[in-house]
Amino acid sequence: MLRLAAWPLLALVLVALPHGLSFSQQEILVFLTINVLVVASYRLLTLTGEWSLGHVVIMGVGAYASALYSKKFGVWVPASMLLGAVTAALIAVLLSFPLFRMKGFYFLIGSFASGEIIRLLWKRFRDPFGGPKGLKLIEGMPDFSIGIWDFQFFEPVSYYYFAGTVVAICLWILWRIERSPVGLTFHAVHWQDRLAEACGVNLRAWRTLAFTVASGFAGLGGALLAHYIGTINPNSFDIEKMVFVLTWAIVGGTGTFYGPILGCVVLTVFNEIVLREMGFEQMRPLIYGAILIGSILFLPNGLESLVQKLVGRRRRVPGPAEIVGESAVK
Amino acid sequence: MIELLAQTGLNAVYAASYIALVAVGLVLIFGVMGVINFAHGELFMAGAYTVVALYASRDVPFILAVAAGLVFVGGLGLFMERTMFRPLRDNPLGGLVASIGFLMILQAAAAMGFGVRKEHIPPVTQQVIEFSEKVRLPMARLYVIVAAIVILLALWYFLKRTRFGWALRASAQDPEAAELQGISINQTARIAMFIGAAMAGIAGALTAPLVSVNPHMGHSVIVTAFIVIIVGGVGSLEGAVLASIAYALVHTFVTTFWDGVIADIVGLSLMLLVLIVRPTGLFGSADRA
Amino acid sequence: MSALLEVRDLTMRFGGLTAVDGLSFRVEQGSIHGLIGPNGAGKTTTFNMISGFYRPTSGQVLLRGEDISGLKMYEVARRGVVRTFQHSTLFAELTVLENALVGTHMPFRPNVFAAIIGWDREDRRGALARAAEALEFFGLSGYAGARAGDLSHGHQRALGLAVAYASHPDVMLLDEPFTGMNPEETRSMMALMEKLRGQGITILIVEHDMAAIMGLCDTITCMSFGRLLAEGDPEHIRNHPAVIEAYLGGTHHAA
Repeated sequence: MLRLAAWPLLALVLVALPHGLSFSQQEILVFLTINVLVVASYRLLTLTGEWSLGHVVIMGVGAYASALYSKKFGVWVPASMLLGAVTAALIAVLLSFPLFRMKGFYFLIGSFASGEIIRLLWKRFRDPFGGPKGLKLIEGMPDFSIGIWDFQFFEPVSYYYFAGTVVAICLWILWRIERSPVGLTFHAVHWQDRLAEACGVNLRAWRTLAFTVASGFAGLGGALLAHYIGTINPNSFDIEKMVFVLTWAIVGGTGTFYGPILGCVVLTVFNEIVLREMGFEQMRPLIYGAILIGSILFLPNGLESLVQKLVGRRRRVPGPAEIVGESAVK
Repeated sequence: MIELLAQTGLNAVYAASYIALVAVGLVLIFGVMGVINFAHGELFMAGAYTVVALYASRDVPFILAVAAGLVFVGGLGLFMERTMFRPLRDNPLGGLVASIGFLMILQAAAAMGFGVRKEHIPPVTQQVIEFSEKVRLPMARLYVIVAAIVILLALWYFLKRTRFGWALRASAQDPEAAELQGISINQTARIAMFIGAAMAGIAGALTAPLVSVNPHMGHSVIVTAFIVIIVGGVGSLEGAVLASIAYALVHTFVTTFWDGVIADIVGLSLMLLVLIVRPTGLFGSADRA
Repeated sequence: MSALLEVRDLTMRFGGLTAVDGLSFRVEQGSIHGLIGPNGAGKTTTFNMISGFYRPTSGQVLLRGEDISGLKMYEVARRGVVRTFQHSTLFAELTVLENALVGTHMPFRPNVFAAIIGWDREDRRGALARAAEALEFFGLSGYAGARAGDLSHGHQRALGLAVAYASHPDVMLLDEPFTGMNPEETRSMMALMEKLRGQGITILIVEHDMAAIMGLCDTITCMSFGRLLAEGDPEHIRNHPAVIEAYLGGTHHAA
């Protein structure tokens, strides 16, 4: 009963939220919405046990691709966003050939290197990527109206509703994947890859699948970002941004679906509201770094472990009844 | 053409010398503690800023400023070991992530203390050795090359000929067996971290007058160091030195004949290639993987 | 009866060391076949080559006449040859039922698009039924919701078999299934294997403790120093002078 009421209530809060905020806070809300998608997709990748340092660059691939499709070929923006996501996923498939010959630390460094190569290519090739200055005047979402509601997407509130809807759908899809036999297979690949392989799981294919799907959603996040801010450059997707994503995931915890999202929301609120308002502008990276170290040292299972303590249950992975989608057992 | 080649070769030797200092320190830390120090580029930066603070701003003699950089950055290394890497010893990924956090702290601290603009550092010497009209080696670069060779030889002597060095190598190969032999892991970790960090610091201090000193300078340093330690074989000190020379040659020549960005792409691609073909590197085998 | 699995001139060299040297034997359909030998005889290496974990230096592994040597482990598994692991290799963090569900990967291959849209409901039910069946077969139904890592040693071993069984294997390769078991657990494990044979599943057991599998196997192949030493029914092996010498002559683990 409570669960039934919780979702509409949450939706109501999220719809009402921007109206109580200042303009700059509304803008931050848009970025937060997009970042939630990026960090949630990152978790899908970590389900198979691999940690990438290239995720933000993949997000950038989606941003560049979508911006270029709409700029150069005049593709309708919503379609170019989807194409951008598909492009990011395809690049991930290509990258998976070299990267999944590596594991653990080598995968981490390999993903970092391939991300840097992509960024350098954007820098080097002025045509079509615009060089170090990147792409400017990226077309925004076309305005439209539904009945009495007009959506002008240069306004943060309208774009927030649009991005929020897209991200909500994506989160639902990611959730469905995780709570399905597909998600169970990802877990199996993570915990005991040899046993999983003995059960007939093609490890390489499944790692690639997780990487590809995660990259597609990251790419969509990048496209959402590009068409909102209107200008992107190679430094929009540098290692520092990756560190933010990593921090969100680690501070939130990657044991649950909501952990990274929680980390992203809490840290963004803390970062933007508390630190900015209190005038710690310059010290923010320093504080971020300290939080990252502190949470690794003192809260290794992330904020989610606190939530689990509060709610009083520990569930790292979906139970079988949830996997089947009904209570068929017992 | 010969002269261009000779000049490029000289540039490469100079680049190799400070890259080797950074990379060897990184490998030493990885070998003994099993953790990749992402903040290594920022330790390099910290060394450079020590020179800014003492030599450029307060007229302390350059050589003393470099010595101060060594001590200061070595101290940072000890601090990192004690507060981060020791508690996270059983968690290599945690150690790596913590070092990323430390990287951000050092970067922000530099930006707050000195501003984000590039620093101006007066040259140590204007002297130039002229081999011919077009082949010249600034004296300041020669100092870096000589210092790097001396330091690397001293490290080699330390590791191969002293008791401490033996303990260090023993715990790099097998920490548990080393502990059974009465070698304190904390002790070897402290020594490795001090030396590794101090080498990055001294490299940053020595090259400070010759490069652009700014809070973000560590990024290209760490990328280069990663390439070098992967190509050299993670865990191999000799491999790191050889790979530094090889990388500096390739990078300098590509920069001279094409451009710097292409050179970076070539370097990273080489590293990816090595990772694909032989993850343990071209020269050595990994002690820890 | 005909040979389901055949090993022909199988050889494995690690550097200068020859671990398995020209080994040949046949496993008959529906039998329980033992592969024994003193420590270091090359049993586990052989096992790893059959299951696809190692690629043999030379020689062949034939399944129903098809050459499967050099295939990857999952490719071997998909042809119906499923292995278990020494010790308690399980998905310790997952529940017992989820472990068995991973075992149903091959008959009910998950598909990401179907999972999103919800068109895999039939598959999920089928997988769940098969997993439940596997757990019941091995007497684990009561533990379905428990964390696999929390099970007793004997139950973990049984779960290892259940995971393999859930995939409808034709051949099960068991790697030292009796190690570390008390006599009672050993007895119930032997009963389970008899039951598996009753289902028409061919079993190849690698074991160095001869006594454990004497009463179980139809045929036993004994290896020593990478080569075939003797082959035959348990009675024949028990009295074979070379086998007795290999086991007694070895420094430890006399049968």
